[in-house]
Amino acid sequence: MISLGFRTLLSKEIRRFLRVPGQTLATPLLTTTLYFIVFGVSIGHQLREVGGVPYARFIVPGLVLMGVVQNAYLNSASSLFVMKLQGTIVDVLVSPLSYAEMLGAFVLAAVVRGLLVGGITWAVAGIFTGFEVAHPLLALAVVTLAAVAFAAGGVASAIWAQTFEQVNFFPTFFILPLTFLGGVFFSVRMLSPGLAAVARANPVFYMVDGLRFAVLGSSDASPWAGAGLVFLLAAGALTAAYMLLRSGWRLRG
Amino acid sequence: MPEPVVQIRGLTKRYGDLVALGGVDLDIRAGEIFGLLGPNGAGKTTLISIVTGLARATAGEARVLGRDVVRDYRFTRRHVGLVPQEINFDPFFTVEESLRFQAGYFDVRLTEARLTELLTALDLTAKRHTSARALSGGMRRRLLIAKALVHEPKVLFLDEPTAGVDVELRRALWAYVRTLRDRGTTVVLTTHYLEEAEALADRIGIIDRGLLRLVEEKTALMARSGGRSLEEIYVELVGRKEAAAP
Ligand SMILES: Nc1ncnc2c1ncn2[C@@H]1O[C@H](COP(=O)(O)OP(=O)(O)O)[C@@H](O)[C@H]1O
Ligand SMILES: [Mg+2]
Repeated sequence: MISLGFRTLLSKEIRRFLRVPGQTLATPLLTTTLYFIVFGVSIGHQLREVGGVPYARFIVPGLVLMGVVQNAYLNSASSLFVMKLQGTIVDVLVSPLSYAEMLGAFVLAAVVRGLLVGGITWAVAGIFTGFEVAHPLLALAVVTLAAVAFAAGGVASAIWAQTFEQVNFFPTFFILPLTFLGGVFFSVRMLSPGLAAVARANPVFYMVDGLRFAVLGSSDASPWAGAGLVFLLAAGALTAAYMLLRSGWRLRG
Repeated sequence: MPEPVVQIRGLTKRYGDLVALGGVDLDIRAGEIFGLLGPNGAGKTTLISIVTGLARATAGEARVLGRDVVRDYRFTRRHVGLVPQEINFDPFFTVEESLRFQAGYFDVRLTEARLTELLTALDLTAKRHTSARALSGGMRRRLLIAKALVHEPKVLFLDEPTAGVDVELRRALWAYVRTLRDRGTTVVLTTHYLEEAEALADRIGIIDRGLLRLVEEKTALMARSGGRSLEEIYVELVGRKEAAAP
């Protein structure tokens, strides 16, 4: 049963990011478009095809995934952290909302933002490279699960964080390097065996690769590895965030 | 005598070595204004936080309408309202939106009639569509009170509602608290102003260093003390004088 309390928190969270569309939607739109123009179109001309796919088209799934996970993380992390800072978290903590409802609302709102940004990125890229998707349902499942994983991660780090710097710790030191080294802009087949082994140790590589299979129909690793991994990550992150929330650590004195 | 609205038994809260509450027993009666008086750091906010679900007790228990506030939190929180000591507001939303969200968290759909009533009572009608960012300090505090009342709680906790508030607003808030009590809401308010407890409370509890030193009907307290002022009793118990209301 979906309670009014859950729907209220969810709609508040969604309206919060829609209130600042420049920050939450236009900025990611602009940056991913720039990536696309720089890496896809200008540099892409010098590069050949990757595995029979034009380079510009090859990078689309990675760019979409990058936008999705960054925004999913940022939405739940910044919203919950700001509530902690402003003290408005009290409004929620004194309410009868259960932990599952709170987590569900924060995560779902963040997933909505992630998918919106991913959708915009995909639409912009589509203008240049076409809109075909080999396995649409698999593509949707991969981006949604990736968004859930990073949104739940955002909840957990907002609970942990005591400064804005700490909120930015995870995106700067994990999400950014992992996505850049996760094969957004290259295929592991282009890499030396040593570097390829490093790439294969990166969970984001399997997400990008899984989405690439879903969109292009071909990939480096088994697409099931990507789908399976992203499912496990989402389940693990949700569980961790739920336990943290329930423990009351840094939220309830 | 009817069952107390709030029952507190052996309530203890430790922060490391610091004992914020050292085993408090207290009953709050239906329909009264209970004034919890004590100096800064006495444990007033800690006590309220445990009953409202913002903090967890180290030991002991608290019940609201006979139900445990931890085990039956869904039930107890529906009947409890909190006006926190620190003002908070969400600058993204208007007064009306803030109230609608708050009602929603409590599974309550805010009717137009109830919204109008709250806005009128707290003198916020003209600010209905104003962003919380653009409110004055006094208006934000009134919004905080309106938020605590959206779900028509049976018990309202006011944590130092008049700290740093001007005289005019203080009088208005006192009058409103009495109105709430007269309509059947039980009110627990903390204060470190003796004048406030004296003016408003039906019963007074004096807390110091995590221990309740005295709980008594205000009239009995005044009579028993044989003309001594509340201030003299307070100084005797707490060992120091608090600031009078500015
Ligand atoms: N989160 C916390 N961590 C450590 N000590 C705390 C915390 N909250 C309150 N205290 C301490 O507990 C005592 C009681 O605080 P509080 O209940 O806020 O007092 P009051 O509301 O009566 O001014 C104080 O000594 C305070 O410093
Ligand atoms: Mg206090």
